[in-house]
Amino acid sequence: MSKLLEIKDLYANAGEKEILKGLNLTINKGEVHVIMGPNGAGKSTLANVILNNAEYQKISGEIILDGENINNLTTDKIAKKGVFMSFQSPEEIPGISTVNFLKEAKKNIDGKPIKVFAFKDDVKKYMEELNMNPKLADRNLNVGFSGGEKKKNEILQLLVLNPKIAILDETDSGLDVDAVKTVSKGIDMYKNDENAVLVITHNMRILENLKVDFVHVLVDGKIVTTGGEEIIKDIEENGFSKYKK
Amino acid sequence: MSKTKVDDINRNIYDFKNEDNYDIKLQKGLTKEVVLEISKLKNDPDWMRDIRLKALEMYNKLELPTWGPDLSGLDMSDISTYVKPKSKLNSSWEDVPEEIRDTFDKLGIPEAEKTSLAGVGAQYDSEVVYHSMKEDLLKQGVIYTDMESAVRDYPEIVKEHFMKCVPISDHKFVALHAAVWSGGSFVYVPKGVKVDIPLQSYFRLNSPESGQFEHTLIIVEEGASLHFIEGCSAPKYNKVNLHAGCVELYVKDDAYLRYSTIENWSKNMMNLNTKKAIVGKNAQMDWVTGSFGSKVSMLYPMSFLNGENAKTEYTGITFSGGGQNLDTGFKVIHNAPNTTSLINSKSISKDGGSCTYRSLVRIMDNAKNSKCSVSCESLMLDNISRSDTIPVNDIRTDEVTFSHEATIGKISDKEIFYLMSRGLSEEDAKAMIVRGFAYPISKELPVEYAVEMNNLINLELEGSIG
Amino acid sequence: MNIKVNETPVRTSRNFLINNIKIDNLELPKNVSKFENVDISSDKSIVSENTNISNLVYGNGDLLEENNLKYCNSKIQLETAKEDVKIVYNFDDKNISLINQIEIKADKDSTVYVIYNTKTEKNVFHNGIIKSVAKNGAKLNVVVVNFLNEQSYNFDSFEAIVEEDSKINFFVIDLGGKTSVVNYYSNLIGEKAINNVRGIYLGKDEEKKDLNIISHLNGKKSVVDIDIQGCLDDKSKKNFKGTIDFKNGCSGAKGSENEFCLLLSENAKSIALPMLLCTEDDVEGNHSTACGKVENDSLFYIMSRGIEYKEAIKLIVKSNFNKILDEIKDEELRNQIIEKIDSRLK
Repeated sequence: MSKLLEIKDLYANAGEKEILKGLNLTINKGEVHVIMGPNGAGKSTLANVILNNAEYQKISGEIILDGENINNLTTDKIAKKGVFMSFQSPEEIPGISTVNFLKEAKKNIDGKPIKVFAFKDDVKKYMEELNMNPKLADRNLNVGFSGGEKKKNEILQLLVLNPKIAILDETDSGLDVDAVKTVSKGIDMYKNDENAVLVITHNMRILENLKVDFVHVLVDGKIVTTGGEEIIKDIEENGFSKYKK
Repeated sequence: MSKTKVDDINRNIYDFKNEDNYDIKLQKGLTKEVVLEISKLKNDPDWMRDIRLKALEMYNKLELPTWGPDLSGLDMSDISTYVKPKSKLNSSWEDVPEEIRDTFDKLGIPEAEKTSLAGVGAQYDSEVVYHSMKEDLLKQGVIYTDMESAVRDYPEIVKEHFMKCVPISDHKFVALHAAVWSGGSFVYVPKGVKVDIPLQSYFRLNSPESGQFEHTLIIVEEGASLHFIEGCSAPKYNKVNLHAGCVELYVKDDAYLRYSTIENWSKNMMNLNTKKAIVGKNAQMDWVTGSFGSKVSMLYPMSFLNGENAKTEYTGITFSGGGQNLDTGFKVIHNAPNTTSLINSKSISKDGGSCTYRSLVRIMDNAKNSKCSVSCESLMLDNISRSDTIPVNDIRTDEVTFSHEATIGKISDKEIFYLMSRGLSEEDAKAMIVRGFAYPISKELPVEYAVEMNNLINLELEGSIG
Repeated sequence: MNIKVNETPVRTSRNFLINNIKIDNLELPKNVSKFENVDISSDKSIVSENTNISNLVYGNGDLLEENNLKYCNSKIQLETAKEDVKIVYNFDDKNISLINQIEIKADKDSTVYVIYNTKTEKNVFHNGIIKSVAKNGAKLNVVVVNFLNEQSYNFDSFEAIVEEDSKINFFVIDLGGKTSVVNYYSNLIGEKAINNVRGIYLGKDEEKKDLNIISHLNGKKSVVDIDIQGCLDDKSKKNFKGTIDFKNGCSGAKGSENEFCLLLSENAKSIALPMLLCTEDDVEGNHSTACGKVENDSLFYIMSRGIEYKEAIKLIVKSNFNKILDEIKDEELRNQIIEKIDSRLK
């Protein structure tokens, strides 16, 4: 079965506010999907709801990962099942270094002990490929990192944890040109025929270096259009207005 | 394990003849007789005996504090039992509560240290290490010995400094301490000597008593420097439940002293420790404190910035769990120009525990151009606990840069979500965040202590979440 | 007699000198005749003399509270309509003791100004209690201005109860009195209740200011925001105690407190105790206090634009106060306050 993630008729709220109003989406293995939409449409909400963030409540609908309904699993269990979200604003956690945190997370997700030296070498290699300052490995997780460094750190985590599906939430916001290129490179390194990528964005830059299979437009809590890369161009030139009706 | 000669000599001091008679006499309250008995047992010189007697008078005059946590668990009329030397010499490992023995195991404390921490035996393993360290120190002229030996062997130095940094009139429990003190460390670092390795208090060979009236006196002479570590993170168990210790620190001109301690008394204890430092010109005094354990704590380390350009930094964390009322904080008096103080305090409350942060910053009118910055953060882990912040800022000059901030709240949901999205369970995520919260303190401790402290935090958090 | 007033809600060590304020040689007036010079301007609000004030939760202490309840010589009960109400008390040679009560009930958006003026050089005595309640979503502004002369004793006890969805903005402008003791207590009992407390004080010569603000957050998502700006000159002294108490059950509540004191002389003394008490985890609490003299950089910049030292100081003091003063809508009153500040800054 090549269906990796299937979302059926999802309704979700943030407190009393309805945000997702019947969203449907299917992602197969090996695919790269993009969701675009105006601000407030519910893009970040979707990512958070998939990972069962307690700030959002599912009202009805199903989220099925690799054939299994993950509606009621806790966030960590969902992560262990192979869902990774790259955060728009990654949290700063003092008291643990970047590399030790990665080790901890990897151990939890793989469920088996880590060979420390081999692991640290791998991390070092990924950091080089991502043009990351090697000193960041020993610094406290995200503490004092610039916006760009934080985002690259998210991609580093993606590469190390190697999930089944990567959800990239506004990964390109606030990055300079080089940083965007690096992040794209990271996504390329991750991508293969068995996994999938879902990019959530409202601006185009990250997509310039990515081969995209499907583009969805999310307006007012629902996906209103699905197409190919031509949609990206259309939105670039004409904005979202025609999709809002 | 063989005991050394030094240890034998110590034991002789405490072997006394009329053991049976002594145990039969039940004395209510703290009397002159009991104090004199203690003084005799320790072979006090006259001047020390006089201090004890004056302190007893003061103790009888002073009242209990009218503020702070409830001290009613302390039976003041029974104080003589607390101070009876030999009151715990009959304890055995079996008498130590199971929960304490378990903690030692979980913290990975080796066998020999366990018994010493449980007040059951002296420290054996550490002898060898102690002796080699002792030789290096001796070469440099550093004196590191127990307090009783110091009174006997260095009377001039001790007399000049004993109970002068902390006057016996300070409060009732200081007076009590001065009357019945027993055990503790004496460290003297001569001019210009920089002691490279941190001195740790459990390397000193002490008496079998577990020191609930310990007196620590540290003198760092001009231009010298020292890092002293008191205690460790394993719970110190005592059958008797009062700890009224006293720490006096003298940091002379151009000197540096860092005093790190993790106070983790067992949860039946009332910890009423008094610690003060006098800081001279251009000198610096750093406090690093972790307060865990004990049922009730009243702990307010204090720095007197007495010399121009004197500096003090306080980094502390207090963790209060169910049944605990930990009232801690810091006091600083700026008594000279250009002095600086930096206070960074954190507290965690859970399971119905109560944490109170109490502080005093007093900038005198002669402390022109002083700087003080205070930051307190409190973390509540549930809604049955308490966290109070009561800082008093007394500014008596206009030439000052002073700021104070405090925050209180719970662990951020966003941080928990982030960590869980990386596969950590909710419990592990919270533990990681709490350790991160304690990080500014753990990073100031030597690695073994930091590891122990983190393990202690994990232990404290176990079972409290979910 | 010698009395101790304005106790802190949580005791500290006696030698911190902040538990209360000692006042020596104070004669509490008794059997005073009715205070005659009270001007109340209101159109539609209901005004009467039937106040129903009994035990205060905090207040300035038993002695002063008893004195007020027994010898009160001016009572005003106000049920506000949607308007501004102004109450002005004018002390003169014949009316030198004011022991007053004001009770405000607001269920409509309204503002109540209370102004104490002195038109006499004699020692005057003021012991006042103001109780206010806002309910049914009402937004109530209470602005209390103390223009007493420099020989007076001023004792204020304020209580503010905020019910669900309602709001009380309470301003204390303390520009008078040899000794001025203010106790403020607010209880945010309703969900989403909001209380903003704003204070300005200016001490000089040997004046004493004692300000004790206590706020209890009980209602879910209730919010208290306290901002106190002060200035001390000559040998004046101030004690500030600001307590935010998050009670169990007030989940989602927020409390913040900011206190800043400008010291204009080397003999001015400031003691501050910003307290945060908490038995509820789902809250956000913070406070900050700062204290110091006028920044050299600011002073130099202003003087380099041709403004002489004394004027420059006045400008800086007022700029600290402006944020609070801007929230007072009555322009005439605002100008009177600014004039008073100018005159007190010599």
